[in-house]
Amino acid sequence: MSYLSLENVVKTFNKTEVVKKLSLEIHKGELVSFLGPSGCGKTTTLNMIAGFLEVDGGKIEVDGKPVHLLPPNKREMGMVFQNYALFPHMTVYENVAYGLKLRKVAKSEIKIRVQEALEMVRLSGYEKRYPKELSGGQQQRVSLARALVIKPKVLLLDEPLSNLDAKLRQEMREEIVDIQKKVGITTIFVTHDQEEALAISDRIAVMYEGRIEQVDTPAAIYNYPKTDFVSQFIGEVNHIQGKVLEAYSDKRCKMHFFGNEQIVAIQSVKDSEVHFFIRPEKVQISLGKSNESKEAFLSKVERKMFLGAKTRYILRANDQHLVADISNTVLNPNQIQEGNNVYTFWNPEDLLPSRMVR
Amino acid sequence: MQVGIGTENDLLLKQKKKNLKRKRIDTWLLLLPTLAIFIFFFLLPLFFLFITSFKTFDPSSGIGNEWTLQNYIKFMSDPFYLGVVWRTVKIALITTLITIFISYPVAFQISKSRGRARNYFTLLVLSPLLISMVIRCYGWVILLSNNGVVNNTLLSLGWIDEPLTLLYTELSVVIGMVHVLFPYMVLSIMGSLEKIDPSVIRASQNLGASSFRTFFSIMLPLTLPGVFAGSVMVFSLSVSSFVTPAILGGPQVKVMSYLTYEQVAVMLNWPYGGAIGFLLILIASITIIAYSKILARSEKGVAIQ
Amino acid sequence: MKKKLPKLLFNSVCLLVYTFLLAPIVVVLLSSLTTTEYIVFPPKGLTLRWYTELVDHPEFMQSFTLSILVAFGTAFIATAIGTLASLAVVRREFRGKTAIVQLVGSPLLIPSVVFGVALLQFYSWIGLAASPLALVLGHIILTVPFVMRLVVASLVGFDRSIEQAAMNLGAGSWKVFFQITLPIIKSGVIAGAIFAFITSFDDLTVALFIVSTDVVTLPVRIYTYMQYQYDPIITSVSSIMILFTVALMLVIERVLGVGKVFSSKN
Repeated sequence: MSYLSLENVVKTFNKTEVVKKLSLEIHKGELVSFLGPSGCGKTTTLNMIAGFLEVDGGKIEVDGKPVHLLPPNKREMGMVFQNYALFPHMTVYENVAYGLKLRKVAKSEIKIRVQEALEMVRLSGYEKRYPKELSGGQQQRVSLARALVIKPKVLLLDEPLSNLDAKLRQEMREEIVDIQKKVGITTIFVTHDQEEALAISDRIAVMYEGRIEQVDTPAAIYNYPKTDFVSQFIGEVNHIQGKVLEAYSDKRCKMHFFGNEQIVAIQSVKDSEVHFFIRPEKVQISLGKSNESKEAFLSKVERKMFLGAKTRYILRANDQHLVADISNTVLNPNQIQEGNNVYTFWNPEDLLPSRMVR
Repeated sequence: MQVGIGTENDLLLKQKKKNLKRKRIDTWLLLLPTLAIFIFFFLLPLFFLFITSFKTFDPSSGIGNEWTLQNYIKFMSDPFYLGVVWRTVKIALITTLITIFISYPVAFQISKSRGRARNYFTLLVLSPLLISMVIRCYGWVILLSNNGVVNNTLLSLGWIDEPLTLLYTELSVVIGMVHVLFPYMVLSIMGSLEKIDPSVIRASQNLGASSFRTFFSIMLPLTLPGVFAGSVMVFSLSVSSFVTPAILGGPQVKVMSYLTYEQVAVMLNWPYGGAIGFLLILIASITIIAYSKILARSEKGVAIQ
Repeated sequence: MKKKLPKLLFNSVCLLVYTFLLAPIVVVLLSSLTTTEYIVFPPKGLTLRWYTELVDHPEFMQSFTLSILVAFGTAFIATAIGTLASLAVVRREFRGKTAIVQLVGSPLLIPSVVFGVALLQFYSWIGLAASPLALVLGHIILTVPFVMRLVVASLVGFDRSIEQAAMNLGAGSWKVFFQITLPIIKSGVIAGAIFAFITSFDDLTVALFIVSTDVVTLPVRIYTYMQYQYDPIITSVSSIMILFTVALMLVIERVLGVGKVFSSKN
């Protein structure tokens, strides 16, 4: 049973559809990220959920009740903005208390609830400060407390970490997840940062050109991308092109690439060109031939880059380039020099067939 | 099922239409008070005066019934009135030039000062704006009259034998105008001085230019837009100003605004007063239009630099 | 050594300019204290006689009250309607926007004499007699351009997401305006109101055409009085006006800070 549902939601600006019949079901207490490049419609969708933009088609329901015709002040959603959007003329206390005052909550109760909210974001003692006297991270915490104190039905976070520096960003994102789980609030988190989305989400909705490309858990999104866009947007990939030598009846083919033959689980016809992706960390290399690498082919190490925990090898085989990221605990990078020939191989299931028509 | 979706979409459409209509209505509601007052008490009166300026003069009611171009022709062909136009423009030009010369050092000094001193200097320069123009001009009357401060001082120093006629001359009008319009020029020059990147000046000094040279080859060209903007403001304000010439010039130094006032309030010749008024508007607008042309060109120049 | 001379020259030029700026104001203030029957500077002797003598001239007090009333009315209405119009101009798209912006800005370009004449003719046609209302309406035209410049400037940099945050927390559009928007653009609005007040209080040109024998603003009263009389009464009235303005500015400084008021002007 979904708690927040979008059904065929459409948004048009100047006759171009920026959100195209978007549908999504979000469960109660779930944290779903909208991930995509800028202009993919993720913020537009969030603004439609919050009510700052009108929907041009479809409907939005919360807890079984349609909300898309309500003005934003009647939707009971808590929003945290990219630039914090704190009220500059109010103290921290007044900022957090504002929503409760609007709800005509008794003064004594406001006091208790504001204290609780500030404690939750670890800002007790900052009540009398003004927003401009706080650091960016502190401001964002006030913003979070202000959104949560009214006990909204849904929490909306619009790129809340993008104005913070890298270290603080990591700290804050963990804190946000902790608070979200503790409160158990249904949350939408908009971001263009894939690492952020992978780290915190229960599920990720990858968006592109006004459509949801795939909704899945972070692991599924990473390991089993359903579209070319998803596979390229999340993580890095090698493009591989191969020719079908023989097509078998059991949805397998004998493929030819890098001057090597391999049997792959894919349905195709003989002599057709097929495209694949493989992530750099799934490519394996070794100096000698072993049991594991019986389908290995030889390639030449063109460049070697030390990246801390891992080393990146740029390989070349049969005039095709291939990037391999190998953990330094698996293979000591000192063993391999630029110009060496290495055996290159992978598990056939790590090869992701492309759906792109070229 | 089909029906359900249909009505839902209808509802959405209806709501959207309602919201759009409401937004349009409240945009006009926001504008309505201002717009109504401006149409009724600004546009309409000016329009009627414009019409009046094409009417004949009637000694009993002021405005006759016949249409005529005579008011404009009379003004343009009479050497006396053309003399008034020339005097108006001349006073405005001299005022503008003097204002530039005395504003520049002050603007320079303020933009160089920091913190509290800067606030006080700014306040000092702007304070004349806050004090009634009538009173400021009256101060000049006291200073410049025949037995005023200036004449008394000069007499007691033995530099002159009898008082100079300073008041109710073009000189006294120019002095008063410079005093009144000076702050606008300072603000305008300060604006462009502040836009100069300090590193440009440092660079020039590093290259061995004297501060004298730095000023004339760097600062002056870069502040020219500000000087232009201030000049146009000062010029157009002084062309149309009334209080200063009325108090410090009076009937002896007639300028166009005073002439307009005189024709209407003393001669009760509304059509002629109206015609002079619209010619005055014309002169002021020509300045502004010429200015925006020059500015457009000079900004291009700056951009290329 | 070489550098000092130009610097000295420069500073003395500035000093001269400041003297020039303050001279007429100082002269008015000081000559109001003279014991003579005529205006003289420097004053001969010191007395407050010309201030006490104002008691015999209630017309100045009446004019002062009228001017204050008109200036307050003008500042209040011009600020209110100018702020609303600024909201529409900055935040809404509508047909004829540039035309409206130009119309509302044009009083700065039209000589006030011409506007005064036009207004007088119009008032006599529609039968609106000289009254505080007639003055206020004229002064609104003169002051709305200032108000709108200042308010538009403070609205242009406004972060709309602050308003969205308030809406999101449950505030309707009225509450958003009065509790969020207005407090944030406060300094621009107040600066606009101050300029409107001063412009109206100072106006001679337009008022000269609208006043009648019993409705006379202070600048008009002083102007007409000094055309016929040359006694120090005028200097004492003027001094009171100057002191009033200074007091007003001090109060505003306390509340807002000079920097704020003038920085929003630039």
